[in-house]
Amino acid sequence: MSADVSNKITRNPRKSLWHSLFSTWDRTQITASFILVGLMAISPLFVDSPYFMGIIILAALYAFIGISWNIIAGFTGQLLIAHIIFLALGGYTTIVLLNTYRVSPWVGIFVGGLVAASAGIIIALITLRYGLKLDYFALFTIALLVALRTLFLKWEFVGGAVGMYLRLAKPSTAKMIFDSKPPYLYIVLALLTLGIVIQYLIYNSKMGKYFMAIREDEAAASALGVNTSRYKTLSVIIGATLAGIGGGFYVMYVTFIDPTGLFNLGVNVEIVMAGPIIGGLGSLSGPILGAFVNKPIAELIRGFLAEERSGITLIVYGLFLILSIMFMPRGLAGVFHSLYLKIKRPSKEEA
Amino acid sequence: MALLEVQNIAKRFGGLVAVNEFSLSLDRGEIVALIGPNGAGKTTAFNVIAGYYKADAGKVLFNGRDITNLRPDQICALGLVRTFQVVRPFRGLSVLENVMIGAYARTNNNHEALARAEEVLDFLGMSKLSDRVASGLPIAGRKRLEIARAVATDPQVLLLDETMAGLRPLETEEVIGMVRKLSERGIAIFLVEHVMKVVMSLAERIIVLHHGETIAQGIPSEVVRNPQVIDAYLGEANATS
Repeated sequence: MSADVSNKITRNPRKSLWHSLFSTWDRTQITASFILVGLMAISPLFVDSPYFMGIIILAALYAFIGISWNIIAGFTGQLLIAHIIFLALGGYTTIVLLNTYRVSPWVGIFVGGLVAASAGIIIALITLRYGLKLDYFALFTIALLVALRTLFLKWEFVGGAVGMYLRLAKPSTAKMIFDSKPPYLYIVLALLTLGIVIQYLIYNSKMGKYFMAIREDEAAASALGVNTSRYKTLSVIIGATLAGIGGGFYVMYVTFIDPTGLFNLGVNVEIVMAGPIIGGLGSLSGPILGAFVNKPIAELIRGFLAEERSGITLIVYGLFLILSIMFMPRGLAGVFHSLYLKIKRPSKEEA
Repeated sequence: MALLEVQNIAKRFGGLVAVNEFSLSLDRGEIVALIGPNGAGKTTAFNVIAGYYKADAGKVLFNGRDITNLRPDQICALGLVRTFQVVRPFRGLSVLENVMIGAYARTNNNHEALARAEEVLDFLGMSKLSDRVASGLPIAGRKRLEIARAVATDPQVLLLDETMAGLRPLETEEVIGMVRKLSERGIAIFLVEHVMKVVMSLAERIIVLHHGETIAQGIPSEVVRNPQVIDAYLGEANATS
């Protein structure tokens, strides 16, 4: 507090912009997140290859999905492992609405968000009703994923085991089908911006503080007036909605969906969990930083090792995850936070 | 009718009767202590009153309203809050954030919660600690944080569960001072305590539990001379000193 006051007096206006962007660690994280978004926004100027463009788009999408999981697992501390369920439900909803009912994906992906939110409510109610917490909660979500995969494999209306392909159509903005990458990039960046803002607003609200109180100590939180069931449910609903929207976009981008591809724990690790864990679960910048390390590295490993037996890419990727958890238990955000504090301390003494 | 009326509550775990026929009445600004040997059922009584355990019998009335078996957060919203014997700070959050979470019980507004938290920390002489991460506090700091957080919820009744355990004499004096200040503000305080010095200097009345039964109650000077209490809990040395 006192440092803030002295800064206001001594610093000139040019420095005050710098100050407002980096004065606290939270602000610094938001600034860094938007710098990354900005870099991606101008990336079409110097990235020609559709392949690299594709990696950038998926990295941005992973960051958005990472945020959705971070709110549940990072802020509220609920081990909702099989988060990809929400992604899949949002994806299926979007593609069924478009293929079968000719509903524009611009509407469809948000309906997908609502369907995922409903699934979130059901998961929250069941687990709260039977008092499933921590590892039992985690196991329940995994079991649900397996059950849903089986259901979707047999469900002909949504394509059964074959899955569903986007009906071939001419590029059309109304149908969110484009013949080049940049439009997809700007849609996903809009989503990511929305995600960053929502995450920040939650983090700084009563709701966010209550989420964190639940994560740190549920019994103590309830002693202080936190309706833990209500806030846990809220956190799952918010995370599920965002993931459902992300799933809708994912399907529009990759143009198909099938049960084994998305109701899949391995894919869940890559799309949902790896980013926030590498980046720093529970932090504001973790999901974004993590996605930008996770996606390229996953792609790199695949590129180098794809000609070998396919299993080896997973082994190497797993090893990479283990090492990053061992050496950065608080993720990249944790490493950068320590650096930030080191840089900040001496400058305070100068003033 | 008193502010808090506990009427003959009982709690059983299987065949074990942890608390039986426990009653209490507590008024605004009063300090009442609950003492007894380990396993006497003190914390169980707390847990029933604060909504952590369902009562097997009896009633808890708060401001004349039946709060038996409400959830802890509902009870807190009405104005009765408890602390924990084993402190449970929100470890990863700062002291200020910890106290703000208590303050949010009365407001949805960030600025109000912040102002309220700062006011409470100031009142309890803890302002210097506000930026510290809770996990980095020494035990005395964590015990005081436990109280500060509870006070931030703006309670009418405060249940303190062994707040002085494990503190050094000087730190104990500080916490006693805190409790007095709160009591002067009109908060009714019900405390479980092993440190007899604390009990004798703070409590206006004492209730003694033994094997879940209330074996004595009254003003401190009488209770400590009660032969049954000496036999069950205090021992000869304490009684004569």
